[in-house]
Amino acid sequence: MQIWLLIVRRIVLSAVTLLLVSAFVFSVLEVLPGDVATRILGRDATPEALLLLREQLGLNQSSMIRYIHWLGGLLTGDLGRSLVSSRSVSEILAPRIFNTLALSVYAFLLYLPLTVIPAVVQALKRDMAVDHALSVVTLVLLSMPDFLLATILLLAFVLWIPVLPAISLVDDTSSYVEYLRAMTLPAATLAIVMAVYAVRMLRDNLIEVLDSDYIRMAELKGLSRGRVLLRHALPNALVPTLNVTALNLAYLIGGVVVVERVFSYPGFGTLLVDSLQLRDLPVIEATVMIAALVYVSANLLADIAAILLNPRLRTA
Amino acid sequence: MSEANIELIAPSQMRRNWLMLWRQMPLSFRIGSLILVVHLLVAVTGPFWAPYGYSQMGAGPPLSGMSLAHPFGVDQLGRDVFSRVVRGSWIVISLSLAGTLLGMLIGAIVGLLSGYVGGWIDEIVQRVLEALISIPFLVLALIAIAAAGPEYSGNPVLLVLVVALVYAPRIARMARTAAIDIATRDYVTVARLRGEKAWSVMCWELLPNATGVLLVEFALRAGYAPVLIGSLGFLGFGLRPPTPEWGLMISENRALLIVCPSTVLGPGLALASLVVGLNLFTEGLARVLGRTVKLGTQ
Repeated sequence: MQIWLLIVRRIVLSAVTLLLVSAFVFSVLEVLPGDVATRILGRDATPEALLLLREQLGLNQSSMIRYIHWLGGLLTGDLGRSLVSSRSVSEILAPRIFNTLALSVYAFLLYLPLTVIPAVVQALKRDMAVDHALSVVTLVLLSMPDFLLATILLLAFVLWIPVLPAISLVDDTSSYVEYLRAMTLPAATLAIVMAVYAVRMLRDNLIEVLDSDYIRMAELKGLSRGRVLLRHALPNALVPTLNVTALNLAYLIGGVVVVERVFSYPGFGTLLVDSLQLRDLPVIEATVMIAALVYVSANLLADIAAILLNPRLRTA
Repeated sequence: MSEANIELIAPSQMRRNWLMLWRQMPLSFRIGSLILVVHLLVAVTGPFWAPYGYSQMGAGPPLSGMSLAHPFGVDQLGRDVFSRVVRGSWIVISLSLAGTLLGMLIGAIVGLLSGYVGGWIDEIVQRVLEALISIPFLVLALIAIAAAGPEYSGNPVLLVLVVALVYAPRIARMARTAAIDIATRDYVTVARLRGEKAWSVMCWELLPNATGVLLVEFALRAGYAPVLIGSLGFLGFGLRPPTPEWGLMISENRALLIVCPSTVLGPGLALASLVVGLNLFTEGLARVLGRTVKLGTQ
C-alpha cells in the first residue's frame, strides 16, 4: 500500500511542478515585458496593427484571465494559433515533434553501444593504457560544447569522408533512406554527448561489480568470462545508470535546440529558435511547455522505476 | 646572527612546503590548474600582445589559411582570428565567472535558508526550484533573453543575469541538501538554543561548513558557463558581433568551415581547452576535499 502512496505523491508533485512552469512561462513571456503587442510588432508599428494584435491576443483582458484561458487551452489540447502563419500551433508542432522523436530514437539506438562497449573495455582493461586513453577521450568529449562537436563531425564527414549530407533538410516527400542519411550526423552528435556521461559512470559501476563476491563465485564456478560479464556483471552495473539515462533524456530536449540548428534539421529545436526570432509567442510557449513536460515525465518515470526496483520500499 | 639564519632558511623551506603540497595534489588538479593558469594569463595579458585588434580588418588576405603570421587563419572580413580569440578570452572568462558567482550567491542563500528553516516555506521553495530546473537550461536562458526584449539583446549584463538565473536553482538544490545534513549537527542545535536567528545561523554555522560542497559546485558550474554563453552566442542570442566571443565566432565562421577550417577550430580549441581545464580542476578539487563529483550533470 505504502508504495502506491509514494507513487501517487510523486505524480501529484509533478503536476504541481508543471503548473508552476506554466505560470512562470506565461508571466515571463506575456506579463513581464509590459505591452506584448509593441514587443512583437516593434516600436514603429501602426496603431491599427497594434489594436488588431491586442484583440487577437486578448490583451484587453486582465493577465489572470488570459492565463487561465491559456492554461485551459493547454489542458484541452488547444494550443492557440501562430501569430506569424496563422496556422494552429498543434498543426505546426506535430511534424516537428515527429522529426525530433525520430531523431531521438535514432540517437538512443546509437547511444547504447557507444556507452556499453567503451565502458566494458575500460572495466576489463582496468588501469591499462586503453583504460587511460579512453578516460582522456571521454573527458575531452565531455568538455566539448555540443555545437562544436557537431561542427567538427560535419567537417569530418563532409570534407574528409564525404558520405553524409551536411544539411539535414527533409520533408514529407523524403524517402526513408534520405531521412536516415539526414539524421545520422545529428543523431551521432547527440548520442556521443549522451554516451560520454554514461560511459564514465558505467565503467566505475562495472569495476565495483566485478570486484564483488558473487562475480568471484561465478568465475570460480568455471563460467566463461563472457557469460560472467553479460549474465552477471552488466545487468547489475546497468541499474544505477538508469538515472543517468533519465538525465540524458533531459539533456536531449535542450541539446536538440543546438544540434538541430547546426544541421538545419526541421525539428522541435529549430522551431523554438525560429519562433523566438519571430517572437511568435503561442509557438514559443507551447514548445517550452512540451520540453518541460518531457523532462518532468522522464524524471517521474525514473523515480517510479527506482521506487519499484528498491526492495527496501517493498515491505515498508 | 641567528636572525639572519632564519631569514635565509625560511623562504626556501616555504618553497619546499609549497612544492610538497603541489606534489601531493591529484594529477588532474595539477594539469587542470596549469591549463587554467595559461588561460588566465592569456586573458589578462592578451590585449597587450595580440598582434591585431579584434575588429581590425585587413590583417591579411581574407580566408587565407593557417600561417605563422596568422595561426588560426584570417576570416571573411580580413580579421586575424588568433588575435580575436586571444582578445575574446577575458570576455568569456569574466562573464562566466560573474554569472556563476551571482548564481552561487543567490542559490546558496536560498538553498541554505530553505533547508534550515524547513516546513512549508521549504516545500514551496522546493517546488519553485523544481519548476525552474525542469525547463532545459538552454531553453530557460533563451526565453529569459526573449523576455528581456530586443533593446537588451547583446548586453553583457543580461548574459550574466541569464547565467545566474540558470544556475541559481541548481545550486540552491545542492545547498539545500547540504543544509539539511548540517542542520542535524549539535553546534547548530546549540546556536538555535542560544536564540540565534535563521539568518545568522546560516552565515556563521551553515555557510562555513558547506564551503566544500559549494566550492566544488562553483567550479563545476563555472566549467559549463563558457559553454552556455558560447551556445547562446552560437544561436545568435548572446553577445553581438563584432564581439570576439568564441561561440559567436564559431557561428560566424561556420560557413567558411570547408574553405578555412582553422577559423572555426581555433576558437573551438580555445573553448574546449578552457572547459577541459576547468573540469580537471573540479575533479581534482573534489578529490582534495574528499567529495565525489559527477562531471557533466548539467
